Amino acid sequence: MERSIRMVTVNIDGKKIEVAEDTTILKAAEAAGIWIPSMCYSDLLEPYGVCRLCSVEVIRGKRSRIVTACNYPVREGLTVNTNSDKVKWIRKILMELMYSRWPNVPVVKEMAERLEVTKPRFVSLERDESENACILCGNCVNICRDVVKASVLSFEGIGIERKVVLPFNEQSETCISCGACAYVCPTGHIKIKSLETERGALQDFYLGPKSAINIPTLQAVPRVPVIDKNSCIKMQTGGCGICSEFCEPGAINYEMKDEEVDIEVGQILVTTGFNLFDPQQIPQYGYGRLDNVYNSLDFEFMLNSTGPTGGTIQCKDGSEPRAVGIIHCVGSRDENYKKYCSRVCCMYALKFAHLVKDRTKAEVYQFYIDMRAFGKGYEEFYKRLLDEGVNMIRGKVAEITEESYNGNKPHLLVKCEDTLIGKFREIPVDMVILCPAIEPAQDAAKIKKILSISQSPDKFFLERHPKLDPISTMTDGIFIAGCAQGPKDIPDSVAQASAAAARILSLISLGEVSVDPIKANVIEEFCSGCRICNNLCPYTAISFLEDKKISDINEMLCKGCGTCVAACPASAITGKGFTDEQILAELEGLLTV
Amino acid sequence: MAYRTYLMVCAGTGCVANQSIKIKDTLIKELEKKGLQDEVAVVTTGCNGFCGVGPIMVVQPDGIFYQLLKSSDIPYLVEEHLIKGRPVKKFMYIPSEKEPPIPKMSDIDFFKKQVLIALRNRGLIDPEKIEEYIARGGYSGLAKALTEMTPDQVINEVKKSGLRGRGGGGFPTGIKWETMKKVPGDVRFVICNADEGDPGAFMDRSIIESDPHAVIEGMLIGAYGMGSTQGYVYIRNEYPIALERLLKAIAQAKEYGLLGENIFGTDFKFDIRIIRGAGAFVCGESTALMASIQGMPGEPRAKYVHTVEKGLFDFPTCLNNVETWANVPQIIQKGAEWFTQIGTGDVTNDPWGGSKGTKVFSLTGKVVNTGLVEVPMGITLREIIYDIGGGIKDGKKIKAVQTGGPSGGFIPESMLDLPVDFDELTKVGSMMGSGGMIIADEDNCIVDMAKYFLNFTQEESCGKCIPCREGTKRMYDILENISVGKGTEEDLELLEDLSYMVVESSLCALGGSAPNPVLTSLKYFKDEYLTHVREKKCPAKACRQLNVYTIDEEICATVGHGCDLCKKSCPDFAIFGETKKAHHIDQMKCHKCGACYDACNFKAIKVE
Repeated sequence: MERSIRMVTVNIDGKKIEVAEDTTILKAAEAAGIWIPSMCYSDLLEPYGVCRLCSVEVIRGKRSRIVTACNYPVREGLTVNTNSDKVKWIRKILMELMYSRWPNVPVVKEMAERLEVTKPRFVSLERDESENACILCGNCVNICRDVVKASVLSFEGIGIERKVVLPFNEQSETCISCGACAYVCPTGHIKIKSLETERGALQDFYLGPKSAINIPTLQAVPRVPVIDKNSCIKMQTGGCGICSEFCEPGAINYEMKDEEVDIEVGQILVTTGFNLFDPQQIPQYGYGRLDNVYNSLDFEFMLNSTGPTGGTIQCKDGSEPRAVGIIHCVGSRDENYKKYCSRVCCMYALKFAHLVKDRTKAEVYQFYIDMRAFGKGYEEFYKRLLDEGVNMIRGKVAEITEESYNGNKPHLLVKCEDTLIGKFREIPVDMVILCPAIEPAQDAAKIKKILSISQSPDKFFLERHPKLDPISTMTDGIFIAGCAQGPKDIPDSVAQASAAAARILSLISLGEVSVDPIKANVIEEFCSGCRICNNLCPYTAISFLEDKKISDINEMLCKGCGTCVAACPASAITGKGFTDEQILAELEGLLTV
Repeated sequence: MAYRTYLMVCAGTGCVANQSIKIKDTLIKELEKKGLQDEVAVVTTGCNGFCGVGPIMVVQPDGIFYQLLKSSDIPYLVEEHLIKGRPVKKFMYIPSEKEPPIPKMSDIDFFKKQVLIALRNRGLIDPEKIEEYIARGGYSGLAKALTEMTPDQVINEVKKSGLRGRGGGGFPTGIKWETMKKVPGDVRFVICNADEGDPGAFMDRSIIESDPHAVIEGMLIGAYGMGSTQGYVYIRNEYPIALERLLKAIAQAKEYGLLGENIFGTDFKFDIRIIRGAGAFVCGESTALMASIQGMPGEPRAKYVHTVEKGLFDFPTCLNNVETWANVPQIIQKGAEWFTQIGTGDVTNDPWGGSKGTKVFSLTGKVVNTGLVEVPMGITLREIIYDIGGGIKDGKKIKAVQTGGPSGGFIPESMLDLPVDFDELTKVGSMMGSGGMIIADEDNCIVDMAKYFLNFTQEESCGKCIPCREGTKRMYDILENISVGKGTEEDLELLEDLSYMVVESSLCALGGSAPNPVLTSLKYFKDEYLTHVREKKCPAKACRQLNVYTIDEEICATVGHGCDLCKKSCPDFAIFGETKKAHHIDQMKCHKCGACYDACNFKAIKVE
C-alpha cells in the first residue's frame, strides 16, 4: 500500500510550521530554527530517548504533557512549547544529575553551561572524573545492533550499575572492527586500538581513509563505484545495507560474484605488467611506520588533481612540506633485493622533483646511485632540473628516522653518505618519496604455468631471443610486451606492444599456420596408459584419454622435441617420419652404397 | 463416581510451602486405612487466599474450614470428622481469643465480604483438571462468543462492561481491543502479562494456580474479538507451580480442541506459547516485556506509537494482565450488564467513568488476616482492613496503607473511608497498581518504608533513561541520609523537586511512578520527615542509626541478674558489666545495630 506523505501544520513556540506527518518534533523544530537540547540523539540512529534533555511540553486542549522531542511524531494541529518553565525545570535537574556524575566530560560540560547549570545540588556516589567517561547514551550499542547488525556491544547490569560491555569483557570475534561505535560515541570513551596496523589492509593507498564504497580512481574504466568486500559491513555481517536504501535506481547488488568466462583464441599477448616492490621490506626506510614516507605510486596519487588532496602536495597534518627527499633505487640495484635496474625511476623521480618545485616552495633532495637519463630528451630534462636548483646527492640512503628538536613538530631525517664529497650527511626533510623497484606481477609464476612460457632468473617472462625476437616466447602464438618482459618506460612498452600486435595481425591475415612436420605419435596398441609422458611434455601437448586409457598427443602443440619418445618405457611413442625402423633403413641405405 | 465428602486441600504456593502435599498424601493413606477411599475424595485446589493460616483444608459440601494443619493431626481429624461426624473445633478458625471458633468457611469475615469473579473457582476445583473447570461452566463464554456473537459484538460487550486493565494502569480494556481491531494487517498478537513483580503481591500467580483455564479462555475470547491467531503468556520462571499448571492446562485445552485449528467447529484458530521471564521487574512493563519476548534486553521504549498499533515484532499487539483476561469469560457469559452492577461510577457512555467489577488485593503487613482477597470496586479501605483483614495485629494503631506496590503511595489513616477504585486512589497520589496492599502500623517508620520501596525501584530500574537511573538513585541517597541523621530541610525540598521531575520525564511507568511512595509520604507525613531532619529522631524507632540504646540498670540487675546475653550479642563489644551485675553500653563504641535490644529477654534495653 503506497502511502502519500501528508503535510501537517504544527505550532512550535508560537511559530506555525508545515512539515510531513510523522516527522519528529525535534526535526520539525530544527527546520524552523528552534534549538532543542539533546545529548543522545544521532542522525544515524533511531531515536533512543534516554537523555530526556529534549523534553518538551505538548499541549492538547487544556491538557499538557511532557514528551521527548526526538521520538514524538507530529500530528495535525499539535501545539508544542519547547521552552516553558516546566521544560526548563526538567532540563535543569536532568543536567544537574548528569553533571554531578560526569563533571569533566566535554559534551556534558558544554550542555550544562548552555542550560545554565553551574553547580549541581546532588552528590553522585558514582562520580566519574574522567574526561571521556561513558555517559550511557547507548549510541554504540544501537549502531552495532541496528545498523552494523553485529550486536557485539550490549548493556550489562540494571539500574545505576548499567554499563556498556563486550560479551564476557573480551574482544569479540563477531566484532568486524568497523569502528561505527567509536564514530558515534559522543565522549570518546570508545577507541579503536589496532586500526593503525590494519590500515595497509584497509586502504589501497595510505593517503587517507577510504569508505567501503569508492571509485578506485577517477580515471577508472568503467567509472563506477565498487564495494570493498573486506570493509563492507553488509558483506561481513549482513547488516547495514544503507547504500541500497539510498540508491534510487536500485543499482546496488550485493549478490554479484566474480565469474569465469571461456573464450577461444588463436594467439595470446601477455601484458601482465608489473608490481611495485613493497618498501616495507626495507624497514630502515620506515615506510608504513613513519608518517609522510610515501612510495612513488602514493605520491602520484597525491599529485592527481582528482586525488585525495586535489593535487596539492601536503604532509599528513595538512601543512606544506619545507623539504622533500626523493630516494632512488629502493630495492633495485641492491644485492639484497633486486639486482637489476628498474630503468624508469630516475626519470619519474626527476619529474617529481620538478612538480614539487613547481607547486611548493620546498627544497628538493635527490638521493641517487647513478643518474640514468638515457632516452630522447631525458638528459636535457636532467640538466634543466639542475638549473632549477634541485639538490643531487650521490649515495645510497642508510636510514630514515623521525626526529623532533626542542619540542617542535617532528620531521624526518635522511641519513646517507655523499660519495661525491666523501662525507656522511644527515638531511632534515618533511616528506620522503621512495622510488621502489619494478618487480614482476605477483602471479607471474601462475601465468607461466598456465601458458607454458618461461621466466628469466629475475622472474620476468623470457623472450625467445633478446635481440632478434624480444616479443615472442618459446611457445608459438604467445607473445609478451611491456613490463611483463622486463622493466621499461612507456615509449618502450608502446613500441614493444605495437610490434607484438603487428606480429599477431600478420598471422591472423594469413588465415592459416604452417607448422613443422616433425611430430611425436602414440602407437595405440603399445601404450599401456602409464602416463609417464604426460607430465614430461614441456608444451603440455600430451593428454590422457580416459575412455581409451591411453595417452594422446595434440599435434598442433607438439614441437617434435622427442622427450616423450625417449621416455616411453613401452616404446609406444615414435617420431613421425623418424621411427627407429625408418632411421635404421636410412642408415642401411647409406651403408649399402 | 460420586463421593459423600470432598476434602479440598489447598495446593497454592503458600500452603505447598507449608507441607500441604504431605498432608494430602497422609490423608489418602489414612482414608485407605479406614476404608473410606470410596466415600471420601481428596482434591488439591488452587490458592484459597487465606495464606496466613495455611495449610488449609475445606470439607465440602459442608464447607467446614480447617487451618494450620500438620500431617500428624490427620489421623485424629479423619477419625473425628469423617467417621464420627464431629467437626474438630481445635483446627477451626478463631477470630479472637474471646470468641468461639467459626466452623463454616462462608461465615468467616475474611471470606464473607469477598465477591469472586476472577477467583470464582478457587478452592472449588482441581486446577489441573479441565473437566472440573468445564463442569463449573468453563468455556461456555467462549462457546457463546464463537457461536452466537460476531467479533465486534464481543469487543462491544467488553467495552460496555467497563472492564479496566487490572495490571495497574486501568486502561479500559474494550477501548484497547477496539483500537487494535481497527489497525489493518493480518498478523496480530495477544499477550497475557503474568510477570508479576511487586514485592508481596501474588494475585496473578494465585489466579493461574487456582484457575488457569479462565486465563486461557479469556485470551481465546479476546483473540476471537481482535482477530488474532497467536497468543503469548509471559510468566516468571520463579512461579514453578503456576507455570506447570498453565502448561498442563494448555495441553489439556489442545487435547479438547479448545486451542488449535477449527475451535468449536468454526474457522477460528488460536495457539498459545509460554515465554518464561527471568524475573526483571521492568519486564512487567508492556514494551519491555515485548522486547524480552523478541529476545532482546528487557528495556521499555517510548509508547508514542501504541503497542496495539506496533507492538511485538512491530505487529499490532494487545497485552492484558492475568486478572483482566480471567474476568473476560464471565463478562461474555453473564453479560456486561451483570458486570456493571458491581463497582463504582457510570460507564454507559464513558469507559473512564468508573471502575467496574472486582479487584484482587494481596493484603499483607501488620494486619491480622493476611492473604488474597477479591473485593468489589468501591469498597472502602477500612472495610478491607478491619472487616476482612480483622484489624491491626496486637491491637496497635494503623499508620498508613500502601497500595499499588512499590509504584503506589501511602494513604494515611484519615483517608481510610476512601472507596477503592482506579480514580480515587490516583486522586490521593497512590494507585491501584496490580493490587498490593501493605498495612503499616505505628511501629513502621514512614521514611524507612519509603526508602525500602525506593530501594526496590532504583535497583530494578533498567537504567535506560537518566531520570529513572540517576534520579531514583539520588532520591534513595537522600532518604538514606535522612534515615541516618544526615538529612537537612533543604534535602526535603530537593527530594520533592527531584521526585516530581522523575515523574514527569521518565521514559516508562516504572520511573514515572517510582517516586509515589516518597511523594505521598512527604504529603501526608511531612512531620515525621521533619522530626528526622530537625531532631534527628525516628518516632517509630525503626531508623536504628537515630536511636540511642541504653540499659535500664535496675531491671538488668534485679530482673535479669546481669545475664550477659546482650554482651554476647554485641558485635562491637560495646557492652560492659560483670555477670550478675548491671550492664551498660559505651555509646562511643555502639554502632546502633539493635542486636542487644533483640537479645534481651527482660526489656532492659531502652531505645530513645
